[in-house]
Amino acid sequence: MAVAKRILIELFYRRRNLLFWAIFPLTLLWLNTFIVAERGKLPITEAMSYIAPASLVGVALFFSCLGGSISTIVAEREHKTIKRLFLSPLSGGSYFAGIFLAYLTIALGQSALVYLVTIAFGAKFAGSLWLGLVILVLSVIAYVGVGFILGTQLAKRTEDVNTIIATFGVPLLIAGGSFIPVRFFPQVLLNLAKFNPIYHMNEALIGVWFRGYETIQEIDFHFRFLLIFALSVSIAGWLSYRKMLSLEKRL
Amino acid sequence: MLEIQNLHKNYGTRSVLCGLDLSIKSGEIYGLLGPNGSGKTTTINLICNLLKADAGSITINQKRSGESDKSILGIVPQENLLYKSLTCQENLSFYADIYGLIGRRKNQQIKQALEWVNLLDRANHRVENLSGGLQRRLNIAISLIHRPKLLILDEPTTGLDIESRYEVWLLLQKLNQQGMTILLTTHLLDEAERLCNRIGIIKSGRIIAQGSLEELRMLVPAKEIVFIKVKEEAEAIELIKELGWTYRYYRRELAILLPQALELREILNYFDGLSVDSVSRQFVSLENIYLEVINQSNSFHK
Repeated sequence: MAVAKRILIELFYRRRNLLFWAIFPLTLLWLNTFIVAERGKLPITEAMSYIAPASLVGVALFFSCLGGSISTIVAEREHKTIKRLFLSPLSGGSYFAGIFLAYLTIALGQSALVYLVTIAFGAKFAGSLWLGLVILVLSVIAYVGVGFILGTQLAKRTEDVNTIIATFGVPLLIAGGSFIPVRFFPQVLLNLAKFNPIYHMNEALIGVWFRGYETIQEIDFHFRFLLIFALSVSIAGWLSYRKMLSLEKRL
Repeated sequence: MLEIQNLHKNYGTRSVLCGLDLSIKSGEIYGLLGPNGSGKTTTINLICNLLKADAGSITINQKRSGESDKSILGIVPQENLLYKSLTCQENLSFYADIYGLIGRRKNQQIKQALEWVNLLDRANHRVENLSGGLQRRLNIAISLIHRPKLLILDEPTTGLDIESRYEVWLLLQKLNQQGMTILLTTHLLDEAERLCNRIGIIKSGRIIAQGSLEELRMLVPAKEIVFIKVKEEAEAIELIKELGWTYRYYRRELAILLPQALELREILNYFDGLSVDSVSRQFVSLENIYLEVINQSNSFHK
C-alpha cells in the first residue's frame, strides 16, 4: 500500500499527466467510433460499444500501465531511490504489488471514464461487468509484468522509455487490433495476431462488452491466453527484478 | 552490537576485503577511516546485507547479518536518495509505512525525525525546492524514522558547508546521547576526532589500527609534534638524527616527533646556527596518527 500511495501522490502532483491520461482514451474512442461507424455502416452507439474495449485495454491501459510502470522503475533506478528500498524491510513482492495497485487504480479511473462516456452516449455494456473487470485486472497484471521486464532489463534512463514503447509497443498495438479492427486485417496478420497478447485482451473484452458474453467459456481461448500470459510475465518480471537487484545492490 | 570477524570480499580477481575484524559496542560512535578504495563502503554494503561476503561473519545484536531484523539498522547512504517531487513529510510518511508504523506513533516519529534534523518548519516543502544541505538532513531523517539501534552513515557530511556539517555533528552527538550506536565512515579526520569514541583505520581491506584516540596516540612515537621550517634542511635532519629524535614529512613540512614535551625556546636552542624561519608545535592529532599508521603499513607492504 505504501508504494501504491507514494506513486499515486507523485502522479497527483503531475496533474497534467493525469489529465492527458483522461483525454487520451476519450479522444481515441471518438475518433475510432466515427471511423468504424462510417466504414462499417453502423450506428454510433454500436460502433462505440465495439471500439471502447480496444481503446481501453488495447491502448489507454497500454500507455498508462505499461509506460507508467516502466517510468516508475526507471525513475527509481535513475534517482537511486531503489537502493534505499533494498535497505528497508520492503520485499520485492510488495514492491511489485504496490506498482500493480497504483496502476490498477489509474486503469480503473480510465475505465470508469470510458464506461461512463459510452453509457452517456447510449452505448451498452452488453455482457458481465464482473467478467469485464477480471479481464481488466489481468490486462493490468500483464502490462505491469512486461513493464517490470522492460524497466529492469532494457531501460536505464527516462529517455529510454519512449524508444522502448515505440519499438516494442506500437507494432504490438497495431497488430493486436487496437487502432484498426482485426476484421480489416489480411489473413497473415490475423494468424500472427493470435500470438499477440493485446489481440486477446481486446477480443476478450469486445466479447464481453460488445457481444454480451457472460461466461469465461464464451471467451475461453482469449481468456486462457491472457491468464497464462499475465502469470508468465509476472514471474518473468519478478525474475528480472531479482536480476536487477543483484546488479544494483550496492550503495 | 556489531561484530565482524575475518571478513573477505572479492570483486572478480580484485580482493577488496581481506580478513577484516571489527567490533562495535552498544552506545558508542565508531569511525571507520581510510583512503579511497580501502573497503569502507564495501564493509557497509556487507553489514546491510546488500552484498554477500566470500568468507567471515557479521553479527548484529547477536544475530547473523541477514537473519537480523532490518529495523535494527538505519542507513544513511552517501547520496541523497529522496523522492524529489514529494514533500519532506511525504517522504518520511512513505518510509514510516514501509517500517509498519501507523496512527499516532507514525505521526509522532515523523515529527520527531523532522525535529531532530531541524526541518519541522519545512515539513510541507517539496524536496526539489530544498538546498543540498537540507536534502542531506532529510536523508538522515529518513534513516531515523524507525528509531534504529544501530545507525550507519557513509560519509554523512561530504559536500556540506561548515555550518551544515556542525549541525550534523550535533545531531549525531544528540542521537548517541539517547543511546543510539553509530558507525560512520569518513574522509574527514576532524569529524572522526570530534565525534568518535573509537576509530578504526582501514587500508587494503583490513583494519590496520583500532582504538580510542588516546590508544591510537600510542602508535605515534611522540608526545608532541614540532613543525620546523629551516633553510638548511639536510643539516637539520642530521641534527635530529644525532639527538635521537624521529622526523617525518607531514603535508611536505618537516615534522619532529618529540618523545617528551619541550619549550619552543629549548627546541630553538638545539637548532642554534641554522636559519630557522618558523617553528610550531602541536599535540599528536588524528591526522598525524592516520599518516603514521598508513606510512607504517606502506613500509610493511614494501
